[in-house]
This record gives sequence, C-alpha cells and structure tokens, in this order.
Amino acid sequence: MLTYLLRRATMAMVVMVIVSVICFILSNVASDPAMGIAGAQATDEDLAVIREAYGLDRPLPVRYVEYVGGLLQGDFGTSYLSKRPALDMIWERLPVTALLAALSMALALAIAVPLGCAAAVWPNTIIDRLAQLMAVTGQAIPNFWAGLLLIVVFGVQLRWLPISGSATWAHFVLPSITLGTFAMPPLMRLIRAGMIEVLAADYIRTARAMGIRPFQLTFKYALKNAVLPVISLAAVQLGFMLGGSIVVESIFALNGVGYLAWQSMSRSDMPVIQAIVLLISMIYIVLTLLADLLNGVMDPRLRTSRK
Amino acid sequence: MMEFRNLTRILPLCATLLAGTALAAPAFAGPEDQSITIGMGEDFPTLDGYINTARDGVVITMHINDMLIYRNPKTFEYEPLLATAWERIDDKTIEFKLREGVTFHDGSPLTAEDVAFTYNYWADPANGARVQASVSWIDRAEVVDEYTVRVISKTAAPAALEFVAGSLPIYPSDYFESVGAEAFGQKPIGAGPYKVESFGDGLVKLVAHESYYEGGAKRTPSITTVNWRIIPDTATRIAEVIGGGVDWVWNVPSDQVEQLKVVPTLDVALASTLRIAMVTLDAAGRTGDNPLTDVRVRQAVNHAIDRETIVANLVGGDGEVINAPCHPVQFGCEQSAAVVYDYNPEKAKELLAEAGHADGFSVKIGSYRDRARAEAVQSYLAAVGITAELEMLQASPSFSGWREGKVGMWYGDWGSQSLADSSASIGSMFDGSSNDGARDETVIALVKEAAAVSDPEERKAKYAEAIKIITEQAYWVPMHTIVMGYAYTNTLNFEPTLDELPRFYDASWQ
Repeated sequence: MLTYLLRRATMAMVVMVIVSVICFILSNVASDPAMGIAGAQATDEDLAVIREAYGLDRPLPVRYVEYVGGLLQGDFGTSYLSKRPALDMIWERLPVTALLAALSMALALAIAVPLGCAAAVWPNTIIDRLAQLMAVTGQAIPNFWAGLLLIVVFGVQLRWLPISGSATWAHFVLPSITLGTFAMPPLMRLIRAGMIEVLAADYIRTARAMGIRPFQLTFKYALKNAVLPVISLAAVQLGFMLGGSIVVESIFALNGVGYLAWQSMSRSDMPVIQAIVLLISMIYIVLTLLADLLNGVMDPRLRTSRK
Repeated sequence: MMEFRNLTRILPLCATLLAGTALAAPAFAGPEDQSITIGMGEDFPTLDGYINTARDGVVITMHINDMLIYRNPKTFEYEPLLATAWERIDDKTIEFKLREGVTFHDGSPLTAEDVAFTYNYWADPANGARVQASVSWIDRAEVVDEYTVRVISKTAAPAALEFVAGSLPIYPSDYFESVGAEAFGQKPIGAGPYKVESFGDGLVKLVAHESYYEGGAKRTPSITTVNWRIIPDTATRIAEVIGGGVDWVWNVPSDQVEQLKVVPTLDVALASTLRIAMVTLDAAGRTGDNPLTDVRVRQAVNHAIDRETIVANLVGGDGEVINAPCHPVQFGCEQSAAVVYDYNPEKAKELLAEAGHADGFSVKIGSYRDRARAEAVQSYLAAVGITAELEMLQASPSFSGWREGKVGMWYGDWGSQSLADSSASIGSMFDGSSNDGARDETVIALVKEAAAVSDPEERKAKYAEAIKIITEQAYWVPMHTIVMGYAYTNTLNFEPTLDELPRFYDASWQ
C-alpha cells in the first residue's frame, strides 16, 4: 500500500510540473499580457512601461524558473490587478465553489442512486425508460440553458428564489440544481449498469434463495459492489465541478473560483490563472487518489492486486 | 463562448414575454428609502481609480472621487469641481485654484498637498498606473500655497485638461500613505458624492457623503444608497431587472432592448456613445504580402459592405453610419472631408478584378463585440468573392491580434477614452503605433502636428487633411457609432450620457 501511495504521489508531482509548464506557456503566448493589464486603449509606450514594471520584458524561460522557484516556497504569484497574492484570492472564493460543488454532488447522488437502482431492479420497464429519459435529457441540456430556464421560471415568473448573488442559502438552490442535473446522468447510468451486472451474480441469487428481503438485497448486498466505479466517477465529477463551474458561477453571479478564473482569463491576469489551474489539478489528483484508496478499503481484491 | 452568448439571447426573450404578462414587483429597496440597486457586469479586485480602469471601474471612481475639473457630457465644456479656477501659465504649466472647505469622506480637509501628492505618486511609472497615457504627460505637480497647485507637463500637452477632468481622481495623501496602495484600493476614501460603506463578494455599497460640498458641477445625491451588484452574465442581469431584483442595468444588446420595451415596469434606451466601430485593413502589409496593400482592394472592401443595412438592423437605436475615422461629435472630426464609399458590390468586383483578384482572395478577420455584425460583414465580403475567415475572441486577445499584425482585417471598436477630441481617435489609430495598420508617413506627421499645436482652426485643418488621405486611401472601413443599451425601472429619473458614464448622483426617484 505504501509503495502504491508513493508511486501515486510521484506521478502526481510529474503531472503538476507538466500542468505548470503548459499553463505558463499557454497563458503567455495566447495574448499579450501587457495589454491585458494596460487595457485596449494603451499606447505602445504604455505597454513598454507595463512590460518593464511587471517584468514581462524578460525571456520566458527566466520567468518560468522564477515562477517555479516561487512555487517551491509556496508563493503562487501575485495578481497583476489587485497586487494581492493569488492564493489569498482563491482561498477567499473557494468556500462558495466548494459549497456549490458539494450541494450539486449531493443532489446528483440523491437522484442518481435510487433512480439507477430502480432502473436496474426493473430493467426495460416504464421506470427504466423514464430514468433513461431523465438521464438523456439531463445530459443533453447545456447547463447555461438549464440555468437560464430556472431563472426565468423560478426567479422572474414565480419569484420563489433569488436569481443571482450568494448572500443566503436560497441563492445556492438554482445553481446547485443546474450543476447537479449536469453531473447526475453519468452517475445514474453507471449505477444502473453496475447494478444489473451485480444483480445477475451468483451470490445475489444465493442471497435471494435464502430469502433476504428485496430492499435489503438491493441496497445492502448489491449496491455496495455496484458503487465502486461510482466513487471514482464522483471524484472526477467533483473535480470537474470545482474547475468547471465557470459557466454556472457566471450565470448566477456567484463569486467563486470558477468566476475568478474566467475573469482572470479575460484580463490576462496570469498569476491568478496559473494558481487556479495548479490548485484545481492538485485537487483533482488528490480526489482521484482518495477515490482509489476508498475503493481499496471497500474492495479487498483491489488491495491485493495493487501490492 | 460566443456561441454561448448567442444562445443565451433567446432566453431573455422568453423572460420578457413571461414578464410582459406579469406585474413586476418593485426591487427590495427603492424610492421608499432613497436607495437604488444597480446591476453591473464587471467585477473589480480594487476600487483604486488608477488601477481599476475598465469602464465599470471608471464609473465607480467618479462616484467615490472627484477630479479637479468636470467635463460636462452635454456641452463638453469644462466646469469647476475641486478646482474653482484654472489657467495655463505657460505651454507646460497649468495652475489650479482649489475650492476651500472641501473634505474627504473621513472628514480631513482637501488641500493642494493632496493634489500634488496624488499626481506625483501616479506619474511615477513604478507605481503602475494602468493607463500610462493618463499620467505619463505629467512631469510634476507643485504646491504653491494651501489652495493653489501647479501641474507641469513634460512637453506641451493640449489634451492635459481632458485627463485632469477624466482620469485623475484626487486622493487624501495622509490616509493613502498610512494604509498603502493595496489597502487603499480595498477601502478607498475620496472627496466624491458617495463614500464606500462595504466592498466584497460581488457587492459594493455606496452611501451619500453627507458633507459633500455645494457649488461644484456634480450635485449632492438625492439617492442616498447605491447597491452596486456585480452580475457578469448579460441574460441574468436582464432577468434581474425584469424581476425587479435590480433597478438599473446597462450593456443590454440592441435586439433585447427591443424585446424589453413590452415590459410595463421598465424604461429602455439605446443611447449614443462616443464609441465608433470600424473595419481596419492591413494596408501596411503587417500580415505579410497581401491583397489589402493595394488601394483598389481596400476601396473594393469599402464598396462591398452595406453599412446602412447593418446599422438599421443590427445596431439600432441612435446608431449612425460614420464616414470618417472618428466620432462626429469629436473636435476635428470633419465628416465632409471624407471620401464616401457607397454600397456598390458591382463596383467592388470591378475594382477587385482590376487589382488582379477577380477570383477573390482569403483573409482573416478578427472581431469580439458582436458576432451578428461580424458575420454580416463576412457575408458582404463573400458576396464579392472575398473569403473572410472570422476569428471571434475576447476583447483583449482580439485587439492584440490586430496590433500584433496577426489578422488582415479587424472589425473592432474604439471608445476614445470618452475624450471628445479627434486626437483620441484619429490621433491614436493613425499615429504609427501598433494600432496603426496604415503606417502612412504623411498622416502620422499630420496627427502628431495636430496634437501639438494649440490653435483650434489649425488643428481642425490638420485633422481634415488626415481624414481626406485616410479615406482616399481607404485605410479603414469606418462603420458606425456604437449605442449603449440601458433598461431601468420606469419610476427612475435617469438620463444616459454620450460618454457612457452613468451618473447616479444625478438620478432620482419620481
């Protein structure tokens, strides 16, 4: 187990280095960062001053080495715009994004698990078809569309819920539904497929023959085994939500990391973009690692095969 | 991202239709407590007016701070604000007499010391003012006595007062020095009509500065609280104003302004701005050897695009076709000096054939603001045989693309920093800088001279000459003025201004 952990940690480091190089190069060559800072009206002289003031006139490799040097000391860079440490700006906004992601994931699982189980227990029935329809619909509707539809119905027309901002818990309802319905379909499908497979297994037939009640059979005996791949997928989905909630955060004016990322990109605030990308990839790696460990705990076979 | 934006346009329409049948409730605050909630699109990491120079930032700066003088957005005359009088001592020196008895939000008095400190601090490039052009002309500011200050420029600067009135807020020197630039941006103190009560989490709360001085060009606000909410998504912003969550929004696309007219609780406007749109052409061959270096091809492009139709259908409101490379209200923007190209696709084809491009050619066209308009231009070009490959990007990379010579054409726009002078349009776009895709030596010399002489008639003549050459040579396709879409609760007295700077201290509830 320890070797496995060490190997994963080394891999994670390599991935991080690759991510940092790609991110650094892309954000520097995509557009002129000096113009992002100085604004479109800037003259050539303004740009020259800005380049010098922000050290952008030096060669890319020199800046990269400096950047990595800072990273090793825990310095993720300073925002060009606010002159504040990028990490501080992210920490401030992380709670909003984390809450949104957690609520959305909870909602997605709350729908996906019972629905997936029901579809598997009664395959090819009306229940199964309805569940599949929900999954296809959920996946086919882009989340910005779903978000705006919810805004129109529940915000403008019915006035039940606030449309934008993050002041109260009510502000999180519509965004969580939007993001949750987007994450739900693959989870539901995976549970359905896993359950169908498990329910056909010998031990379930035996259990059934022994007179275990169907409810217990489904949720205690079958689900435990069907849920393993779901944990891995949910971890990836959670990572995706943290990084990919850009659209939802911008629609609902939630001041989270996703919106910060979008904002920083449109203003070429590179240190912040780089810090976000690195942090998100770190979270991704940690989540995947945790999911693997959790799978190992739940399924002894995985532990032995990975020694 | 642009596809996403286009799709999102459909939903506000649904929202409008739904809301049109419902009676919108008033915003959670409003006339009762003299407060207003506004929906703005851009978030800012700082409230420092020298750093936060995006449009929304300029707007908030002018509510929190005052400049020395004020430029009236209707007459374009300068009026007294913190300074009651000003005069040019010589070519490089302007002396300002300050108003006595003005206090900052913390109660400290405003003196010449504060003005000199602010100017000197930001004139230093090391302090990183984001629009260097606003401050780089300043050599130094000197205190003459407690209420007199002199600003000395490096060279003769005819546009100096434009910057003094537009982009140089005055800060309290003691407070700024004691807290430092970063903290100042989080909790600024100014001498403007509103002070900052809170800032963070997408909300800025402004309250009226109760001891704001009388007699300046800005009036003491009748609306005492401005809740400034950041709602980045246009469709959401529109939904909020329909639903009554906010009282005022702007940057409403023109087609949606039309739809919003049916909402009984709203007033809408598509008002003129100082911003112009144009198609720039790579006449200097920055993208390499290309057909656009031939004047006949550029003239063909000018004849190929039906600007009237684009303005009528896709710009709307107060938008109008322009023929010169500047805004018609700008000083020196003599439209009659321009050679006008009518919409004539046959002529365009003839010119192309004459230039040896009877079968057309391919070119990259960059754009950012409005896909529908860019695609219209694309299809007009296609009709005469020019295949324009459209590259829609965010504003900053799109403009970079043009400045770095990566695209042969660019359908962009130019706001002249809200300055009503041709030096900010022709003077910035044909000055031999990276904005300039023409690199015409004669034109460069003309605009440089026009920026340095002070005789108004002589300046006008120079700009007219530049306009004549630019249009004869068809360096641009001057397109149209840009309009700004507003939607606000119809019990609000609000008037859009040409400089795209909404003034909430001037607004009031009915």
